[in-house]
Amino acid sequence: MELDGNSSRGKTIASGVIPFVFVIILMLYIFGPGSDLLDLGIPLPEITIEKIDFVDSEIQATVRNTGPISVEVVMADVNDRIQPAAVEPDKSLERFETALVRIPFEWNAGEPYTIGITIDDGTRFEKEIDAAAPALDFSLDLVVFFAIIGTYVGVIPIMIGLLWLPFIKKISRKKYHFFLALTAGLLLFLAIDSIEEAIDVSDENLAGSFNGTLLVVTIVILSFLVLYYAGEKLVKQANSSKITKHVAIALMISIGIGLHNFGEGLAIGASVGLGSIAFSTFLIVGFALHNTTEGIAIAAPMSRGKLMIGKLVAMGLIAGTPAIFGAWLGGFSYSPFSTVIFLSIGAGAIFQVILVLVKWIKEQDTVLSSGAVVSGFATGISIMYLTSILV
Amino acid sequence: MMILVLSVIVGLSVIAILPVMSEAQLKQKTFVTHSGSVIQTTGEIIDPLYTVSSVEFDPEEFLRNFEYGRISVSESGQTIRDYTIIAEDDKIQEISPGVFFNIWSFNGTVPGPTIRATEGDLVRINFINNGSKEHTMHFHGIHPAEMDGVFESVGSGGGQFVYEFEAGPVGVHPYHCHVMPLEEHIVHGLYGVFIVDPKEERPPADEMVMVLNGFDTDFDTENNFYAANTIPFYYQHHPIQINTDELIRIYVVNMVEFDPINNFHLHGNLYKYYPTGTDLIPSFYTDMITLSQTERGIMEFEYKFPGKYLFHAHKVEFSEKGWVGMFLVNDNHEKNNQEIENGT
Repeated sequence: MELDGNSSRGKTIASGVIPFVFVIILMLYIFGPGSDLLDLGIPLPEITIEKIDFVDSEIQATVRNTGPISVEVVMADVNDRIQPAAVEPDKSLERFETALVRIPFEWNAGEPYTIGITIDDGTRFEKEIDAAAPALDFSLDLVVFFAIIGTYVGVIPIMIGLLWLPFIKKISRKKYHFFLALTAGLLLFLAIDSIEEAIDVSDENLAGSFNGTLLVVTIVILSFLVLYYAGEKLVKQANSSKITKHVAIALMISIGIGLHNFGEGLAIGASVGLGSIAFSTFLIVGFALHNTTEGIAIAAPMSRGKLMIGKLVAMGLIAGTPAIFGAWLGGFSYSPFSTVIFLSIGAGAIFQVILVLVKWIKEQDTVLSSGAVVSGFATGISIMYLTSILV
Repeated sequence: MMILVLSVIVGLSVIAILPVMSEAQLKQKTFVTHSGSVIQTTGEIIDPLYTVSSVEFDPEEFLRNFEYGRISVSESGQTIRDYTIIAEDDKIQEISPGVFFNIWSFNGTVPGPTIRATEGDLVRINFINNGSKEHTMHFHGIHPAEMDGVFESVGSGGGQFVYEFEAGPVGVHPYHCHVMPLEEHIVHGLYGVFIVDPKEERPPADEMVMVLNGFDTDFDTENNFYAANTIPFYYQHHPIQINTDELIRIYVVNMVEFDPINNFHLHGNLYKYYPTGTDLIPSFYTDMITLSQTERGIMEFEYKFPGKYLFHAHKVEFSEKGWVGMFLVNDNHEKNNQEIENGT
């Protein structure tokens, strides 16, 4: 018996491994020595200028080899005029390797610049900067500045949104469903907004070899699956412990919005850091109005339980403060790659929250096609669009 | 005993530390920028402007090199100059430090050899096309239609043609391939200079050839590099040595494509300019000429004061992409002394 069991297990393992063996043989055949089967066409070298920093009397470009073959960085130019430069650590770049090109240049703040890098076959790659701004130095003033922006954009609007709670509490069941659906509509807009932003950032800053759009889609789905699993656990626990289902759902919404706001904070911090945003009061007002609606999203499910001010404030903070952390990270050490990742995680989290909300509405014996739900959803997404115009 | 041990220890540690220190010094490289600031780096320096660097083609040698051909005399007493010119289109050459480009060339270089004859000489060019495409040689000047190098394409892989004509008119002229698509054949480098000297020689001078050219290395119909004689910034880090009070004569030909004009500005001096070199009386006394495609002429000047003088395109885009150089004017003591002697 035991022997039989062992041999059948061996067979299972073998049948699992055999296809892999064939894949390896195929790879060896294609790429192995003496194989010229795929020596067709001309591989085109490619580099991507991922980042430009304006430091003291110097412009620094971070370049990555994003093509299929190794290249040499041989020349740097500013506004299409050749400049002496240094490449650290060295000028030859293997696939995906990066180098820092340091171009001594007395740049002028606020002026646009195009930085060009030429490789050994004479191909020139360039990146445009709308307005040169000094790279941000870590200072207490800036830490406070980003914290204030994060608070204006993230924390305060959400807290204001939460003030609708007493109103939502008093209204009828039907109107309550309207608000729940409205929340779902708001969130759907946020999710799409995050995805759009993530794809934008990846298009502008990441090389084609990262498959930007697919990267975003993959992260969105993974984040959705992880949070879906964790969320179900949380709700199950809610049934058997003292936190109610309202609280559990509101908590999930705050986490989802928090992740979204972290991505938003990253984008804002990075824009300030890269000099592409001049922070006007108008912009802050726009963001604030837009994000107030996020407070409603948390308030809606909480309105049906006991009034728990402490928990409510905590959720507001969970949803809002990530904007501050995002602004810090984005401002002081911007990486387009991490921005894309966080925005995508945020989008996945929000999709999961929408699913939870829809289930919640359904569990309350409501038809999803009821007037309240449909109009709520439509209103939610429209409000978001209109307030987004302000940003 | 203690002293001996101590000194051994000290000696050994010095030996151990010194290479580390010198290695650390090696790692730190420095270079000087436009503004004169000194930059230190642990990486590599990419500086075609100020760092002395050389590539396969030597503009120094090309500058004062004139090909007079294999000379014989016909029965009627006419001087015959025979040349062999071979066209190729498969060479990959370093045209700026680290930049490798497929050049098409006459006798292996861009520009091709400077062909020089006296007015009335019979120029006979045995042209061999070793390229993979059709090529020709089209001379600017006066010659029979069948010697124009336009309708008689010379086939690839060893095709031959003999161009035969009387040198004329006096002046400086370009020659280039005239096979369609013409722009492609020119910008890859199939051009050179043809000088026709007057029968009565011009006054002796330090003579040089400058072909103003450019390269579009990424094929976007915009030049990535400009130069006098192919290599960007070459005469900036290899200044042309000349003497005070010595007549300098430059045969200048503009072969830049894509950009409608080019120009030539000389520092600390003015020059007499003979457009196309066809007249023996200068048309201008200036420090700035404007040249359209294949426009050319002869410049003559003397420097009074020793020192370093720039010459460059005053279309600054071109000079900042390589079309800039320098004369290093040495004090001509010998001549001065002679004059002093003659004077006294």
